[in-house]
Amino acid sequence: MRTYHERASREMRLERPSATVTPIMRKLVNDAHAMLARGPLDARQRAANARAYAIDHLDELHEQLRAQFERRGIGYHRCATAAGAAAKVAELLGDAKRVAKSKTMVGEEVGLTHALRARGMEVLETDIGEYIVDIEGRGPSHITAPALHLNRTRIKEMLERTGIELEDDDPVRLSRVVRDAVGAFFQDCDAGITGANAVVASSGRITIVENEGNVSLGASHPKLHIAITGIEKVVADEAGALAILEVLAPSATAQPLTSFTHFLADPLPGQQRHVVFVDNGRSRILRDPRYREVLKCIRCGACMNGCPVYRAAGGLSYGSPYMGPIGAVVSPLLWPDGRYADLPFASSLCGQCTEECPVGIPIHRMLLDLRADAVKDHHVADAKERLAWKGFAAAFGGATRARAATALTRIGLRSFGRAIRPPGPLRDDPRLLPDPSLDHNPELLTSAAARRDVIPEAAIAEPPPADRAALFTQRAAQLGVTVASSAEPRDGDSRLRATAAIASTGSVLLTGEAASRRPILAASRVVVEVDRTTIVAFPHNLQDYLGDGDALILTGASRTADVEKILVRGIHGAEEMVVVLGGEG
Amino acid sequence: MPRVALFDPCYMSALRPGDINFARHVLETLGDTVTLLDGRCCGQPAFNSGFRAEARATGRQLLKAGQPFETVVVTSGSCTAMVRHYLPPLFEGRRAAGAASIASRFVDFASYVAAHPNLGRLSFRLDGVVAYHDSCHTRRELHASSAVRSLLSRIEGLEVRSLAHEEECCGFGGTFSAKLPEISVAMMTSKLDDVAVTGARVLVSADYSCLAHLESGARGIGIQLEGWSLAELLSRALS
Repeated sequence: MRTYHERASREMRLERPSATVTPIMRKLVNDAHAMLARGPLDARQRAANARAYAIDHLDELHEQLRAQFERRGIGYHRCATAAGAAAKVAELLGDAKRVAKSKTMVGEEVGLTHALRARGMEVLETDIGEYIVDIEGRGPSHITAPALHLNRTRIKEMLERTGIELEDDDPVRLSRVVRDAVGAFFQDCDAGITGANAVVASSGRITIVENEGNVSLGASHPKLHIAITGIEKVVADEAGALAILEVLAPSATAQPLTSFTHFLADPLPGQQRHVVFVDNGRSRILRDPRYREVLKCIRCGACMNGCPVYRAAGGLSYGSPYMGPIGAVVSPLLWPDGRYADLPFASSLCGQCTEECPVGIPIHRMLLDLRADAVKDHHVADAKERLAWKGFAAAFGGATRARAATALTRIGLRSFGRAIRPPGPLRDDPRLLPDPSLDHNPELLTSAAARRDVIPEAAIAEPPPADRAALFTQRAAQLGVTVASSAEPRDGDSRLRATAAIASTGSVLLTGEAASRRPILAASRVVVEVDRTTIVAFPHNLQDYLGDGDALILTGASRTADVEKILVRGIHGAEEMVVVLGGEG
Repeated sequence: MPRVALFDPCYMSALRPGDINFARHVLETLGDTVTLLDGRCCGQPAFNSGFRAEARATGRQLLKAGQPFETVVVTSGSCTAMVRHYLPPLFEGRRAAGAASIASRFVDFASYVAAHPNLGRLSFRLDGVVAYHDSCHTRRELHASSAVRSLLSRIEGLEVRSLAHEEECCGFGGTFSAKLPEISVAMMTSKLDDVAVTGARVLVSADYSCLAHLESGARGIGIQLEGWSLAELLSRALS
C-alpha cells in the first residue's frame, strides 16, 4: 500500500476505525478543553514560550546539559541518524538479553524494538497499549493511546493469540492481565528503556510522564536505564519543564497531570543511566524557517484528537510512526525521500489541529507549505494533474476566458451533472453533482420538524474553593485519593512525607529518598503526609520545592486507559492512596 | 457612501448563478454603490493542491481587479481567507507589499454587513427555521462566526438552530473532497446526521462551498435539504 488514499480506504472498509475512535475523541476533546479551562489561563502561552526558547537556544542548552550530565554521571549521547541511534542503544545494552521498554515515540521513529530484536535481544513493550499493538504487529495508531483502534473484543483476541486465557473482555481484566505479564518480566530483566518528555539543561534532570508505573520500574532498573529522545526535547530549566507539564496531560488525556511525573536525577547506586538524543533530520528542520516551529511539539496528540480526518480513517492509515496532523507534518520532514509526501494532503484544512495545539504550532499552514514542496519535488501529482492546473491558471488569466469557463461548467452541470456518477471503485459515493438551475423553495423554512436532539448547555462550573487546602482536597478526591487528617497504619503501607503539594491538580511532590519508585509501587497503600503550608496553586509554582535531586510528582493512583479509554486504577502500584493533611489550618 | 466592489467567487457563479444578486440587494439597501467583480478566482484550488505559481497567476488577476476599490466584499469566507492570509506571501519583494495592501481591503460579506454604519436602519423579517453551519474558514481563519450570528439574530421570526459538534468540518475542503472521497463522504454523512436531528430543512452558512457539498450528499442520500447562503437569507428577509 503505497499511498495514504489506498491505506485509508482499506482501513475504512475493513476496520471501520471511526466507529471506535470518533465517540471517544469527541468526549476526550471536550474533557480536555474543560481541564485546560481550570487554569492557569496563560498555561498554553507559558508552554509555547518554553518550547520556543528551547528550539531557539538548542546548541547552547545541549552544552549546558552535557556539563550537568557529567556532574551527575549520566551518559550523554547524540546520534545523527535513526540507525545510529538504534546501534548506540544496542551498544549501551551490551550483553543484556531481556529488555523492558516503555513507550517512546522516538523509539518508534528509529525502529528501536525491531533493531534490538534483530540483534537477538528479547524486548518487551511494557506499556499496556504498546504490548497489545505489538501482538497485532501493525504499530500504534495514536501517539498517546497506541491501541485506540482496537475495541475490547479485538484486544481479547490479540491476547488470546499469545496463549493467555480470558473469561471475558472486561477492560479491567484485560488491563490487569497485561499488567501481570509485564510485572513478571520486570522481576527478571537486564535493562529498562524509556522515552523522555523533557530534559532540563540547567539541572540535568530527565522529565518523564506516565500513568501505569512501567516507566517507574524501567527507570529504576537496578543496573541500567537508557532514555531515548529527540534533540529538541531539551528545555532551559525546571520552570520550562513545569510549563510543559501544565498543558501536556490536560491536552493529551484530559488529566490534570499523569499519575507519575518523574524528575530523574543521579543514577541509583550501582545503576548506569544514559540518554540518547536523536537528531535524524531535526537539525535540518531547524534551519528551515517554514517548519522549525514544528520542533516545539510536545507530542500530546491534541491535534489528532480533534482531527476529523484522523477520526474517520484512523491512525494506521498514515503508515508512519507519527500519525494525525502532526504526523502529516513531521513524517515528510523526517523522511524527505517522498514516501510520506502525500500525508499533507490528508487534511480538509479545517484548521482544528492548529486550534487545539497547546504550544501554538500552525499545523495546517505547514501542511500547505508541504503540499507545495511535494509538487515541486515531483513526489505527487502526475502529468495530467499538472496540465490541469496550468489550464486552470490559463482559464483565469483573463475575465472573458474565465466567464466562458464558468459558463461551460454551469451548462455542463445542468445538462450532464445528474448523469455523471463516480467511477467504479467509488460508486459508494452518494454525492450527486449539484444542479445550478435549481431554485430554492422558501416553504422549507416553515416546514421544519421539531428538534430531535438536545445540545447540552455549557455547565456553569462552581467557582473552585479559594482556600488552597480545600481545593487540593477537592481535586485529589476527584482522582480517587482519600484526604484525611489521620490514617491508621496498615500492613503494606508505604508512608511518605511530601515536600509540597499542588492544589489545582491534587498532586503531591516527593523528593530524595521519598521518591524511590520501587517501594512505592510495592506498597498495598500509599500514605502521604502533606503540610498544608506547602500547598502551591499550580504546577508552575512548584519550582522552589523541586531541589536538585530525584523528584516524583504523584497525581492519583497508578492507572491506565489503554482499553477503549476506560479508566482502570492500580496497575503497577497501589490502587489506594491516602493523603494526611497536617500543619496549621 | 464609499464605492465598494462585490466579488462573485468563481465556484458560486458556476454552482449558484444569481446568488450574488442577493448580496447586491443587501448592500444596495444599506446605501452602497456596488460594482460587480466576476470572472476571477482567488487561486485557492491551485494553492491548496500545492500549485503555487498557478495560484499566484490566478490570484493576481483578482488583486488587479480589486485595486481601484476601497473595499471588496466577498460572499465566501474561504475565498476571503485565501486573499487576506495566503495570497500576499506568494509574491516577492515590492510586489508582496502591494499585494498585501490590496488584500487587506478584501472583507467577507458577514463582517462587512455586521459592521456597516447603516445596518441599524434596516429591518429583517423571515418566518421559519434554519440550521446554521459554522464553516471552518469563517470560524478559524476569519474569526467571523460572531458576525454571522449577530446578523442571523437580527432576523425577526427566524429560529436559528445550532448543530451538535458545530466545530467539525463538513468534509468538503475543495480538492480534498475529490482526492479522498471516502473520508470526505464520512465527514459529510456525520454532518448531515447532525443537521437532520435539528429538524431544519434549510441550512445556512457564510460559505456556500460547504453547503453545495452537503446538498449534493443530501440529494444523493435522499434527504430534503437546501443550503442557503447568508446573503440569500438576509435578502429574502429584507423583502
